[in-house]
Amino acid sequence: MIGQTTRRLIGAAALALMGTAGAALAYPDGPVTYVIPFNAGGESDVTARYQQQRFRDLTGQDLIIQYLPGAGGAQAWSGLNGINGDGQTIMGTNLPHIVLQPMLQDPGYATEDITNVYMFHFTPDALMVRNDSPYQSVQDVIDAAKAMPGGVTAGGSATNSANHVANQIFMNETGVETTYIPYTGTGATETALVGGEVDVLWGYTTVAVRQEDSTRVLAVATEERHPLFPDVPTFKELGIDMVGGAYRGIAVPASTPEEVRTELSDIIGKINGDPSFREQMEKDGYALIDVPYAEMDAFMAERIEAYTAIAEQLRAQQ
Amino acid sequence: MAIAVLVPFTFVMDPASGLIMLGAIYTGAIYGGAFAAILVNTPGTPSAIATTFDGYPMAKRGDGDLAVTLATIASVFGGLVGAILLITLSPKLATLALAFQSTEYFWLALLGLTLIATLSQGNLVKGLIGGMFGIFLSMIGVAVIGGDVRFTAGLPSMLGGIDIVAALIGLYCLPVLIGMVATPDQHLEPAEARGFRLFEAIGISLKNWFNLIRSSLIGTLVGILPGAGGSIASLIAYAEAKRASKNSDNFGKGEPGGILATESSNNATVGGGFIPTLVLGIPGTPPDAVIMGALMVQGIRVGPSLFQSGDDTVYVFMTGLVVATLLMLPVGLIVGRYAFRFITNVPKAMLVPLIAFMTIIGSFAIHANPHDVVVMVVLGIVGWAAGRAGFGASPIVLGLVLGQIAEQGFMRAWMIGGARGDFLGQLLVNRPISWGILALILLTMMLPLFRMRAARRAAAGEIAREGAVAGPVQIDRAGLIGSAVFLALAVWMLIQASGLSVMAAAFPYAIGAALAVLSLLQILRSLRGQGGTNAEGGSAEGTVRGFVLAATMLGWAVIFPHLGLFATSLIACVLLMLTGQFGRLTMPRLAAYLVSLFVMVTLFYVTLDRVLNVPLPPALLF
Repeated sequence: MIGQTTRRLIGAAALALMGTAGAALAYPDGPVTYVIPFNAGGESDVTARYQQQRFRDLTGQDLIIQYLPGAGGAQAWSGLNGINGDGQTIMGTNLPHIVLQPMLQDPGYATEDITNVYMFHFTPDALMVRNDSPYQSVQDVIDAAKAMPGGVTAGGSATNSANHVANQIFMNETGVETTYIPYTGTGATETALVGGEVDVLWGYTTVAVRQEDSTRVLAVATEERHPLFPDVPTFKELGIDMVGGAYRGIAVPASTPEEVRTELSDIIGKINGDPSFREQMEKDGYALIDVPYAEMDAFMAERIEAYTAIAEQLRAQQ
Repeated sequence: MAIAVLVPFTFVMDPASGLIMLGAIYTGAIYGGAFAAILVNTPGTPSAIATTFDGYPMAKRGDGDLAVTLATIASVFGGLVGAILLITLSPKLATLALAFQSTEYFWLALLGLTLIATLSQGNLVKGLIGGMFGIFLSMIGVAVIGGDVRFTAGLPSMLGGIDIVAALIGLYCLPVLIGMVATPDQHLEPAEARGFRLFEAIGISLKNWFNLIRSSLIGTLVGILPGAGGSIASLIAYAEAKRASKNSDNFGKGEPGGILATESSNNATVGGGFIPTLVLGIPGTPPDAVIMGALMVQGIRVGPSLFQSGDDTVYVFMTGLVVATLLMLPVGLIVGRYAFRFITNVPKAMLVPLIAFMTIIGSFAIHANPHDVVVMVVLGIVGWAAGRAGFGASPIVLGLVLGQIAEQGFMRAWMIGGARGDFLGQLLVNRPISWGILALILLTMMLPLFRMRAARRAAAGEIAREGAVAGPVQIDRAGLIGSAVFLALAVWMLIQASGLSVMAAAFPYAIGAALAVLSLLQILRSLRGQGGTNAEGGSAEGTVRGFVLAATMLGWAVIFPHLGLFATSLIACVLLMLTGQFGRLTMPRLAAYLVSLFVMVTLFYVTLDRVLNVPLPPALLF
């Protein structure tokens, strides 16, 4: 840590010599560690890798990705505020995870403990089947589930997760009953669907892109049709009021100063504005959103409200 | 995972060289795990667990150089088989990943668990208790199925469960350290310089040619299974090698065939694991996932089309993997030779702090989480105490590694079977692959039973000839106390399980009940004098030095996040140096020791902080 202090002193001396205020140089000061609360290979990891190179181009500092998986992300989030709040360590955050986990159990943190700085993309829910599935449409799934309540198995990643929520909303909206089968991570759900262990899968558009050779998408939970799947209807078109998915962003420890939060928010915003970044993300099925630090409170309040009712239902099943 | 840190370097390299680098590091790391397993009895990854079974006994008796050379040959052979199958048969073999469903994973985990029976020859009941305890450890944290929080005792830091690598380091290495300071003897038998013993090793390998081929194939095929393959493959290869071998009684006592089996199979999983990663876009292990991420950043889309697209990058990558595997031969032989010489010749007063420091850093660097270090030390002490009572570490580790795979596989089969109204069909009846695995399980289980019966008959015959010796019954006190503790744990498990949802409680009920019955049985057996110690159980006695060592390690783990890694480590290393020093310490020698310790701690610290950029906790000092 001595090295860092020395470097800071040299930096300060240089600034004084130049006689500039140098606010733009204040952050980041040295390499930034980006903690991903999940294992490598998932959406959180891949998008962080996409940001990594551009962060360096933009700030001249390295963005170092570290994985701290466990308890569906809670392992990392419960330790977030114990990290130094100098902006040199930042953490990925996910919705609905950080809202649902504290509502349904005691994960060692509260939703308010997490200082979100920027929400940069979301992955819309998608209902998928494998290529040779008898289900050609959402209506086929509904009919099958009506004929045999609980007989249709729907795979998804983890319990009380975005996929679990999607299944719950689908059951609420259509009045049918499916059996939700949780897996560890998205990769395992893909094997389960393609290998025929589950009948349908709650995934994201990103999963659908990755597995487009062996699966079909029945519907996507967006307002308008997804540009990569122009022939696939939205749930709304089918009369099912379902728009949602998993949102991903970046958070900092609560002790982080306001200026650093804003600076970081600006940097992530600039990366989001990079046309090559947008193209890379959209080609993979991600939908970019821009919720900067200034608008975070309103956004979170709206999401919390949306998830509260679902949390009640999930709790009732426990 | 050093590999994850190095990914950004590949962005600026051209795609092929970057990928070759990552592949080489991955395969090298799997092979490198053999060194620690053989020389210090500590598997750095689950895939090296079985290497300790025979590697460490060989090193103890002075054959460490031969063991390392054997491991090198086996790793290169296995790595090549895996890589060649990856290049030639990928698209066909990938279907295997899809044919294995939750049910098969459950049976596969059971097959791995049957190895407990093999490993606990001294006392099967104690081995089974250890296995149940391991499964209990695997259930700590948030349940994947049901979503309940289980057995965390209210500690948020336990929500993520017990990290397997941290547990491996603690359970295997701490008892070794405590044993090292218990006696003034050298850690390993000193051996004269004998070169690489390459020809001797080649001879043994040739004699084991069928073992090598079988193990490499098991490694590749099981390695294809996403999630489970890497850790299970070497266990299954080991069990099969033991079953088929003429010297099967020597397995676990330093049989070269055991090392050949595990090391060839675990390096074969590297090629195997890439098969579903590249063909299906489903990464088998975390390093596979890192490499898949790096591929995606380079704009290469993995999937079936990769092999038809005519993009050369993927073939360049595979060829690079072959070259990297071949390079392990010269590099491994030279490094291995010096590592062995170093470990045998370095004085204990230096070896103890060095190994201790590596366990601390190793468990910390996994996730840069100080909590893992505490888990490592605590489990190490538990493992040592269990070893004193005759409960070996390996059954516990097997339970820990395989418990989650078994539980989730079974629970999913239950849920899916329930939804389809045909539970037995889902679990076994309609699943031919499961029949095959079940047959293997039965075969593995029957063999030791037959042998045991034969041995018992022989022993009975002897007694009949010489007349029964009615000695006084020796109560196995340590085993008695240990079983009582496990019984208490079982009761606590059952009470806790009653507050969980059905899906999350089913396995705790089953395991808790089994643990309770087994503990009761062992209490009775201990009272009747049937102690017995698992093959590799039997920790060193608890000496004052051992106590100081354990206390120092515990203090180290607890204090370093607050005081700073460098300062705490320096103090702890000096304490451990004094603990490991037997006999008088002369002034010049003390000075030399202190200087070496300072250099060592500085080197590790700088590597961690500057080269690997592992974020250290904010602390008082540094």
